[in-house]
Amino acid sequence: MTRLVFAVLAAGLLAAPAVAQESRERLDNGFTVLVRENPVAPVVAVSLLVKMGTRWEEPANAGISNFVHAVMVRGTAKRTGAELAESIAALGGKLNAKGEVDYSEISATALSRFWREVLGFTAELALEPKLAAGEVDGERDWLLGRIQKRRDNAPARAFDEFFAALYGPHPYAIPALGTPASLARIDHPALVAWYRRFYQPERMTLAVSGQISPGEVLAEARRLFGGLPRGAVVGEPSRPAPANRGERRTFEQPAQQAQILAGGLAPSLDHPDHAAVKVLSTVLGGGMAGRLFVELRDKRGLAYTAAAYYDPVVDPGALVLYLGTAPENATKAEEALLREVERVRRDPVGVDELNRAKGYLLGRYAMDRRTNERQAWYLAFYELEGVGPDYPERYRRAVEAVTPSDVLRVARQYLATLTTVVLRPR
Amino acid sequence: MARARLGLGVVLLLAGCATAGAMAPSPAATPTREVLPNGVVLIVQEQRASEVVALQLWMRMGGRDEATDELGLAHYIEHMLFKGTPTRPPGSIDTLIEGFGGTSNAFTSYDTTHYDFVVPTAHLRAGVELLADLAVNASFPPEEIESEKKVVFEEMNLIEDDPEKFLLRRLYEVAYSPHPYGRPLLGRREFIEKLDRDQLRRFYRKHFVPKSMVLVVVGAAEPTLVRRLVEATFGRVEPAAPSRGATPPVPTFGPSRRVDVRRAEKQAYLGLAWQTAPLANEDVYAVDLLTSILGDSPSSRLNQTVRERLRLVATIEAGYGAFEKAGVVTVTARLEPADLDRAEAAILDVIRKVRAEGVTEAERQRALITAESSYAFDIETAEGLAKTYGQAETTWTLDNELAYLSRLRGITAAQIQAVARKYFGDDNYARVRFVPGTSSR
Repeated sequence: MTRLVFAVLAAGLLAAPAVAQESRERLDNGFTVLVRENPVAPVVAVSLLVKMGTRWEEPANAGISNFVHAVMVRGTAKRTGAELAESIAALGGKLNAKGEVDYSEISATALSRFWREVLGFTAELALEPKLAAGEVDGERDWLLGRIQKRRDNAPARAFDEFFAALYGPHPYAIPALGTPASLARIDHPALVAWYRRFYQPERMTLAVSGQISPGEVLAEARRLFGGLPRGAVVGEPSRPAPANRGERRTFEQPAQQAQILAGGLAPSLDHPDHAAVKVLSTVLGGGMAGRLFVELRDKRGLAYTAAAYYDPVVDPGALVLYLGTAPENATKAEEALLREVERVRRDPVGVDELNRAKGYLLGRYAMDRRTNERQAWYLAFYELEGVGPDYPERYRRAVEAVTPSDVLRVARQYLATLTTVVLRPR
Repeated sequence: MARARLGLGVVLLLAGCATAGAMAPSPAATPTREVLPNGVVLIVQEQRASEVVALQLWMRMGGRDEATDELGLAHYIEHMLFKGTPTRPPGSIDTLIEGFGGTSNAFTSYDTTHYDFVVPTAHLRAGVELLADLAVNASFPPEEIESEKKVVFEEMNLIEDDPEKFLLRRLYEVAYSPHPYGRPLLGRREFIEKLDRDQLRRFYRKHFVPKSMVLVVVGAAEPTLVRRLVEATFGRVEPAAPSRGATPPVPTFGPSRRVDVRRAEKQAYLGLAWQTAPLANEDVYAVDLLTSILGDSPSSRLNQTVRERLRLVATIEAGYGAFEKAGVVTVTARLEPADLDRAEAAILDVIRKVRAEGVTEAERQRALITAESSYAFDIETAEGLAKTYGQAETTWTLDNELAYLSRLRGITAAQIQAVARKYFGDDNYARVRFVPGTSSR
């Protein structure tokens, strides 16, 4: 779920449209609004991020942030869930709400001529959710179904087991969906209390991108969110440090493919090593010219999927090397993967290969930032992570400055201890 | 992962198939289409959304063009094209594209295969030259053919492990077999294992001819420059007779086309399929709107009735696979095994009600807005717009694509009810159910 999606985010700047204009405003109550005008297509995308997610959860209430959002979309003070769905569909729109690792998100899209309406529904959902007691059991059942689906899916299960092993006592060890045991314990009062604790103006960032007028959108955002009183301050959670003990765990489950994951803890988004680890990740498993793809798939046919993931998060991230392969190839594939780790920790990467990796990294990032949905998310995300609006440009420069010795250094540092998970078909 | 994807994405084809019409971002935003002397069709549109260009080669050739002893070749060739040409050794193609910050991808479907690049404008020339090189000079290195077999087997495994993808694939097989639309696009293991270089080269030479090629270029590039580059590359390919043969008529769906599959998952999956209008048929517009009203969003009838009110499924959706020679509407759901029969009965009830009472004006309006919106989001990127053009040119016509939304607007609620009565009976559907149990795969 969250982590796999995150994996495609690098950072950089290459093809961002020159026509885009961005405005930012912090309202008196601490609520932040970011608006980006983009004339390309007659659409609008809204992303409302709230500092609320796995990072504040504990094993006993794991999944509560996401659970709250599942109940939220069931209706507001003004309309039922069905009426809300109908109203959104009439705008040519979509509305989603979910809990993630470092944040929760209400996201919406629509035809841009309905920007005022879609902003209104976003505010209504965020500020006046009904959170009806009668919806809790049904949504719990639905979430349990999704957890079961994740357990039945070999790659998803393997990633969950990997994060559990890598992070140990840290909250990132538990999936954003929670566990059957934690969901069973979370009741209606707990959900309402969790919502009230986190949905405070100073914890919220709204970003809007599309064929809209920034002045009008800012004024409407002020009207919708400006009246919200400041809330009690929620402190940063005290989180146990993650503990990568270099474990190797194996599992069996019915599947056609074997899953192999190996990796270590990696720097957070604002860490000075972030760009170098991003390049390292790309050298190993970025695209079809990445080493894992070339060596394991192209040259030896030892894996079908061969990639590296490294997600930007607030606490330590994870650099994950991932293979999906036929069961009879699993042992050889794992050996070959480890040899690639040894090689990147021993020999400096060549200049051509480094340039390919940088080109790929920055190119992918530029491609990823072209749609309004992604733009709205990026704007809100960088604000929420506190890295500032110039982050993409700083990041691009940081990536371009990475040298072969930087890659060697971070490979030695961050791939020194490997946690490994192998899931074999039963 | 690139090149891992099956052509089954085409099932939602019409969701994004609409026209610029009244809401085009600028009046100049229409494509030009021309046919080069050797038969290559070139479709060009300048779009300055960002400094990239989408280059897509669409072939009028897909899984349906394979002979019964060639199943899987179209897809295998899709993999092999990136393995090299006489001037480009294995591996160099991906390195080239990725090094300049571009992406490459390829897809095989029943009617078409397409090869997609997105490159920064500065690399337009290199991109066009590369695409043309792959289209006529692929060298099929023998050792690459062998090692790619394992990759294709893995791709088969990967699809089987994904219940939603596999359900759709099985549903198409059960509904259409032995018609070409019921074939596994990846082929069968026994055949792929024995596949040799001559077979591949024969198939490639037969089908990769100028008259089967459609090149779509959308993005931040001068159309005159694009035309010059294409004339100097694709324009110089030797003409040859097009290769496409006749496609047999599609079968009738019904109770004999129903299969239960035991799977390891704890949850069940249900897929139903009705034979409806192929692309060239005038009913395509009404069927598209009907599919949207039935199951395109949380407010759709199937969602509101079967999921929300009756709580019989965890997810449910309807999709319209509009192909050149057939159209199929599928309804797929994830649910508890105990609810399988009741959910199926409830789905049939929802459809029966549309047949008897029709749809409301508000539903028709929502479906129209959904189509308009889906198109507007497609054209946010150069490759999204290029895809709608390439798909239309190879399986329909570009003009039909450009007029799509205005045609959709002319469809009445009565016409939607009429197609529901024409195509959706109580018994004329194919069905696949995945039920928990020891795998019988």
